[in-house]
Amino acid sequence: MHTECAVVISGAAVLTPLADTLERLGSRLREGQCALPASLLPAITIADFDASRYAAVRGMRVYNRTTQLAICAVKRALDDAQLSTEGAAGERVGLLMAASFGHLDTLIAYDRSLVTQGLARTNPVLMPLALASAPGAATALGFNVKAFSATLSNGSAGALDAIGLGARLLAAGRADACLVVSAFSPCAELTLAASRAGLLANSAPRAFDRRRQGLVFGEAAAALVLERAECCAARGARPLGLVRGQASAFAALPEQGAARLGRAARDALRSAGLAAGEIALASSGASGSLSGDRAEAGALLGLLLEARATAREQSREAPSGPRVAAIKANLGDALDASGLLQTLLALDALRAGAAPAIVGLEEPELPGLDYQTDTAPLTGSHALISAIAHNGACSALVVSAA
Amino acid sequence: MTYDRRVVITGCGLVSAAGSELESFWSALLAGTCFIRPLADPSCTGLRAALGAEALLDEDELPPVLAADQRRARCATLAFAAARRALRDAGLSAGASELERAGVIVGTTLGEERQLGDLSERWATDGLESIDASLFGRADNHRLAATIAAELGFGGPVMLNATACSSGNAATAWAYDLIASGATPLMLAGGADTLTRVTYSGFSRMGALSKSVCRPFDRQRDGVSFGEGAGLLMLEELEHARRRGARIYAELAGYGLSNDAYHLTAPEQSGEGFARAMRQALASTASAPDEIDYISAHGTGTQYNDLGETAAVRSVLGERASRVPISSIKSMLGHTNGAASAIESIACALALTHQALPPTANLQEPDPAFGPFDFVPGRGRAARVRTCLNLSAGFGGFNACVLLKEAPDAY
Repeated sequence: MHTECAVVISGAAVLTPLADTLERLGSRLREGQCALPASLLPAITIADFDASRYAAVRGMRVYNRTTQLAICAVKRALDDAQLSTEGAAGERVGLLMAASFGHLDTLIAYDRSLVTQGLARTNPVLMPLALASAPGAATALGFNVKAFSATLSNGSAGALDAIGLGARLLAAGRADACLVVSAFSPCAELTLAASRAGLLANSAPRAFDRRRQGLVFGEAAAALVLERAECCAARGARPLGLVRGQASAFAALPEQGAARLGRAARDALRSAGLAAGEIALASSGASGSLSGDRAEAGALLGLLLEARATAREQSREAPSGPRVAAIKANLGDALDASGLLQTLLALDALRAGAAPAIVGLEEPELPGLDYQTDTAPLTGSHALISAIAHNGACSALVVSAA
Repeated sequence: MTYDRRVVITGCGLVSAAGSELESFWSALLAGTCFIRPLADPSCTGLRAALGAEALLDEDELPPVLAADQRRARCATLAFAAARRALRDAGLSAGASELERAGVIVGTTLGEERQLGDLSERWATDGLESIDASLFGRADNHRLAATIAAELGFGGPVMLNATACSSGNAATAWAYDLIASGATPLMLAGGADTLTRVTYSGFSRMGALSKSVCRPFDRQRDGVSFGEGAGLLMLEELEHARRRGARIYAELAGYGLSNDAYHLTAPEQSGEGFARAMRQALASTASAPDEIDYISAHGTGTQYNDLGETAAVRSVLGERASRVPISSIKSMLGHTNGAASAIESIACALALTHQALPPTANLQEPDPAFGPFDFVPGRGRAARVRTCLNLSAGFGGFNACVLLKEAPDAY
């Protein structure tokens, strides 16, 4: 990605079991709070979520929980950015949603009704909401977003891919601002299937740890406003951060994960014009997954070793490496929404000068990285965000503090 | 960011009711052959009897992951078959070194809905026991793109785009951006969908499913006829294509996007949103409206779509709208949902290659409400074609247009 046209993040919102503002969430995570309950469940949900507290959008009551979460996150992100989409302004604002399973509960319910009740008694209103594109479409409709709207279903890599795509669309002049939103609400069928597939932990998730056994689903939504820097400045708005570079790759096999994710990270750094040694914080997508965590750690270790070799060649002091964070250990795995949470919490950590410790990490499977096991001060202004999805999609993003 | 790289189409692969061979596909289109017929086995539609344009899948040596269950994995199978054909057509082979950084973007409306259908039938008798471990992977539409990438050796960006029935064009647009901005020199992009009971039942309940065959732009049109299929385009950076001596079908000159933000199912009657996407496609390619030689319409045959779409075309082309040929090949292949606009881009590439226009079949009496248009009724015809605009729209208000031009060497 070229950066002749700077793209900034000018608004943000999070909805998680632990907090519903970025500042509060970052603060609670740095205090060591964890959303995971003592009695372990395969999925953690937002206990008191009430969409009407956050947004009033026509049709909200027929939308499923994922869509409601996405709408609420977008409302708060727009408020945070103080950006209007009313009237003609909506024609210069686009929306990209990252969601792989956001429609699944509606699709299952609709299809089940066809079997159990017959065609004549199905609710026709549900059919358009059963499409994979529906949560994003309903969100765009709710906020008069007219420049473009699309949904990417790339699993955990989807949000980072959406940020990259949104930045490209803004740089190409397709819009002045782009909402990137994702929500994940685990439905019973999906959770059961993941459990039966052996993906879910039967103990604490333990990201990066030798004894990890799997992940725990965590319900969440997040949204951010990408904006052309000059548009943000013209409005007198204060950016939270700067999108520097993004790149994607694909790993067909688990053993390719580290190499392909590492390549995506290198490409993202190259397009950002930064060296690996300049990264202060690596916000990884590690979740306790057996193969995913190995790929995340392997990719970061590869980058660090390369940075050290380069420093030696240039007779410079070798970098100690970025702090490595893994917020899914605290919040659970929000699949498509995780990339947005990682990104926003990384910017919050750069701002606060401290990142949350990785809960449950005692013995890293792959030593050699500076795993964030305490909340020691963090210095620097650049962060690398990484994600590898269960389906092999890899994505890396570089952001800088504003 | 600079978009200084030109993007061309160097391979086309499809699976459709008109077959998978490009020559016979094109001949069938020019002849105006309608493939919308009573389905031999309508069970996938949930109806006792149904019309549709079933894809002819004539593939041997499918990868084990697909061959094991072609019925349930039909969408992934169609997508894979089209992808393999596009790759071969581009003169590339599976696992080639050029694919190490090449990517795949597939668009779909419903993906592998049939797999969830099985779940519903078992739910009634087995309850929670009907949920097996494989559902997590099967319910993930990304599988359509990932299977292609894994089996053919793509190592670049691999994505799944969902923008309902404009998914194929939107996937093509995202691929265009990745190539034009220099992220990768090669992308396979398009869409795939199958006949599903979700779409049949939904359109039936909404009164938008044709009782016979769809008749786009006709006074007697009564709704959509569904088809199934997949279309994948090998998109390539121009200089990359030239260096390896690839045949170039056409240039993908640019695209336009918009969102109606009007209604979850109904398009804007004014066509205003659609027109914005068309204007953006023209602006992004520095093309004037009078450069358009052919419009591949979304043309579903519903009352609302055809009204809004023709209003949009008239709004953009003005007086010239009545003279620019516009046709809908959905009249022959049915509406293949997320695959439709990708298959229509292949038809546009063939129109540019063969200098001929595909027709609108089943059109007997154009609806006078549209005003005068050249819908290329009945059969195709020869024409000078330099620039094609391919229109698509989908539930949710998604509009996506791509603009194709003659191959650069033909300038």
